Amino acid sequence: MIEKGKISAFQMSFTMLPVIVSTVILTVPSVTVKYAGRDAWLSPIWASAIGLVAVFVACRLHQMYPGQTPIEYAESILGRIPGKIAGLLFLLFYLHIDGIVFREYEEFVVGTFLTRTPMFAVIIPMVLLCAYAVYNGLEVIARSAQIVIPVLLVFFFLMALLLIKDMKISHLLPMFENGLKASLWGSVVPQSWFSEYFLISFMLPYLFDREKAVKWGIVSVAGTAAVMVLSNIVALLVFGKLTSTFVYPVITAIRYISIAEFFEHLESIVMAIWVTGTFIKISVFYYAISLGAAQWLKLGDYRPLVLPIGFLLALLGYWCAPDFPSLAKYLFTTNVFYMMVVQLLLPIGLLLIAQARQLWRKNRR
Amino acid sequence: MKKLLKKLLMETDKRDLSFFRNDMNSSLTRPLGPTLAENRNVLQTLYKDCADVIFRSFRIGGTVQAVLIYIEGLSNIEELDRGLLTPLVQMKGSCGDGDIFALMEQTLTTSQAKPVHTFADAVDQISSGNPVIFVDGQAAGVSVGLAKFEHRSVEEPSSEAVVRGPREGFTESLSVNTSLLRRKLKGPSLKMIAMNIGRYSRTRVIIAYIEGLVDSTLVEEVVNRLGRIDIDGILESGYIEELIEDDPYSPFPQVLNTERPDVVCSGLLEGRVAILTDSTPFALVVPTTLYSLLQSAEDYYHRFLIGTLIRWLRYMFLLIALLLPSFYVAILTFHQEMIPTTLLLSVAKSREQVPFPALIEALMMEVAFEILREAGIRLPKQVGAAVSIVGALVIGQAAVSAGLISTPMVMVVAITGIASFAIPRYNAAIAIRMLRFPLMFLAGTLGLLGLIIGLLAIIVHLCALRSFGVPYLSPMGPMMPMEMKDVLLRAPWWAMLTRPRLTGKGNKYREVPGLKPDPQKGTE
Repeated sequence: MIEKGKISAFQMSFTMLPVIVSTVILTVPSVTVKYAGRDAWLSPIWASAIGLVAVFVACRLHQMYPGQTPIEYAESILGRIPGKIAGLLFLLFYLHIDGIVFREYEEFVVGTFLTRTPMFAVIIPMVLLCAYAVYNGLEVIARSAQIVIPVLLVFFFLMALLLIKDMKISHLLPMFENGLKASLWGSVVPQSWFSEYFLISFMLPYLFDREKAVKWGIVSVAGTAAVMVLSNIVALLVFGKLTSTFVYPVITAIRYISIAEFFEHLESIVMAIWVTGTFIKISVFYYAISLGAAQWLKLGDYRPLVLPIGFLLALLGYWCAPDFPSLAKYLFTTNVFYMMVVQLLLPIGLLLIAQARQLWRKNRR
Repeated sequence: MKKLLKKLLMETDKRDLSFFRNDMNSSLTRPLGPTLAENRNVLQTLYKDCADVIFRSFRIGGTVQAVLIYIEGLSNIEELDRGLLTPLVQMKGSCGDGDIFALMEQTLTTSQAKPVHTFADAVDQISSGNPVIFVDGQAAGVSVGLAKFEHRSVEEPSSEAVVRGPREGFTESLSVNTSLLRRKLKGPSLKMIAMNIGRYSRTRVIIAYIEGLVDSTLVEEVVNRLGRIDIDGILESGYIEELIEDDPYSPFPQVLNTERPDVVCSGLLEGRVAILTDSTPFALVVPTTLYSLLQSAEDYYHRFLIGTLIRWLRYMFLLIALLLPSFYVAILTFHQEMIPTTLLLSVAKSREQVPFPALIEALMMEVAFEILREAGIRLPKQVGAAVSIVGALVIGQAAVSAGLISTPMVMVVAITGIASFAIPRYNAAIAIRMLRFPLMFLAGTLGLLGLIIGLLAIIVHLCALRSFGVPYLSPMGPMMPMEMKDVLLRAPWWAMLTRPRLTGKGNKYREVPGLKPDPQKGTE
């Protein structure tokens, strides 16, 4: 096997948390509120169903082809050439998505904090950092996540607490004004993020307690949903329906924190903390690409690929969108279908074919 | 396991002899010859131009030729005269062709005596201070355990002072050090394997562990790594540390060094392995984690509440020592809005005169501080006071009034310096000291973003680091919630039920459960 490290299912669930949360927390409240209005806090719960489906599909596929990643079992399921094509599809998709994540990170940091810093000055240190983590393997990414995520969560809850005096409970009322339809509509964009849970299929082969994978996968999805619900509630309670007019509602809300006229303008700290989550997110994608590419090319080691892929990622971050508004538009329209197709329909298709093959084999016997 | 150990030890010995053949004299591997003249000649050529090696010829009972060889200053001469030379020379009657060992048994009044069969053995014994006697007509010699040399007495370790706890520290003499360990852990399961390392220094190294607690593969690994060392001399355990660590390029120490026997013993009780080196008071303990480098022996001797509190204080100091200057630079350069207005005004006022950007200012001060610190260690004690006064005056006052440095920066650097002294292990503090500078550059170029990227890089590095197979950040990454009792807390002794999972594999439990004291318990 290319990856020699082993992680636990518990570590996997920790590692997946920032993969969804760190970008969702920025832009998604605004979109959710746009469609779901006051019921936006409910939407992530609907959306998490997609996360559960992704977890189940990934675990089921891994159960049928233990020790293999999608790149490998695509070949066993579809045959050599179609399997290679499906594998390439996964790789290019994740390459593209990770480029987008780089761009989101860059747009957030440059747009909000380092306004006069050139794009590559922000992206390249991050690429190098993530390359270092990926080079050291899955174990190291998982351990870093375990150190970083508790800090991230503590800060997040602390910020929510500090905002309490700016919150108005009346912003949430009346609930379910338009029935459940609104919150279901609002859940469409978060659903696409939840489909990223298919990424666990790149970690499943390297778990030492595979039987717990489903359990911890569900826990992780639930945790993600909880954080999203909380961030939506915070944004709603502070801004009400105005939330949809902000680009980064949660960050904007945090600007309101002022304790004893001393703790003010904490958003730079929040940015720093948020970057740690993004780092895990990018590294997980980056790792999946590097590992997948090595398996696709049948190499013995993925490490030589890490830096070239990092170079590609930096470029893709630059190429993927001309400016932030078009990136945002893309993220909330086309990208939803794009992510769902590759991360949900394609794996489900693979699963169905695999099941059919299994049945056929059984019948023939 | 024992077989393997023996094999490994044999291998090192064989190799050592082969190099002797190359480097010095082929006669060394040979067994001793039957005549005294021959043996004497070989040894005399070996010890040519060694003024401190004494060859004393005498006749046993006035008849049989014999020679006594020892090194001046390494042996107990009074005992040599009284217990060895006197009885042998004054012996009545001839010993004839009798066995040399029977003779020794009868006449020698020393407690240690063992036979020597090869020249290599003889040289080893002589060099370690045991006088060797050769008798004419015998193809063997006898070494007598009369080694005695000058060494420092057991003193309070100066590098790890405690308020409460034992005040004895290791010395330069290996036998004293092993005795200090044996006095604390009296059971026979405390094992000590001896090795000689160094072509010229022949430094004796002891690998100590507790059988039953330690993971046997760990001992094998330590023996392996030590056995690989082939070097001219080991002058301090630092040589060994650098030759056996996992990642030689990491700024973080992967081996714990200590002068305190109690620290070594607590490591042994956790299933770790200690390496004691002759001629240095610093013992090594492997494997180690970042957290054990942030602990002091005293945490465990005071009551647990203050132990926990001090531990948290230390984590805070660690962050301050690592991050404060770069945080200050980042805030001042990029995120001024975070500073409350009144504070910002006073900082701005004091920076009015300063011609440098915050980064340069911080670098200058940090470098000046490092110079002062280094000078303070190296200087003779009498001059030291003068230097610190000049340093304090020049840096504290003159630099500020000359308008080169702002007052807040002086404070930041001073707090950072003091915080780095609060880290109990000197070698861990060194890592923090070194990493401060790249972080300052990152903070000066990218603000808080640069700072956090640098910090993440350090975290990734720490996560990838291992010390003898044990993850450096365990039990934080990989997370083991039950192990937090000795990291986030210093659990009270009645709750310290288990050993650290990764080193204490041999025997999981430390104590019986239910030791929590309770006045009701005594009456039951």
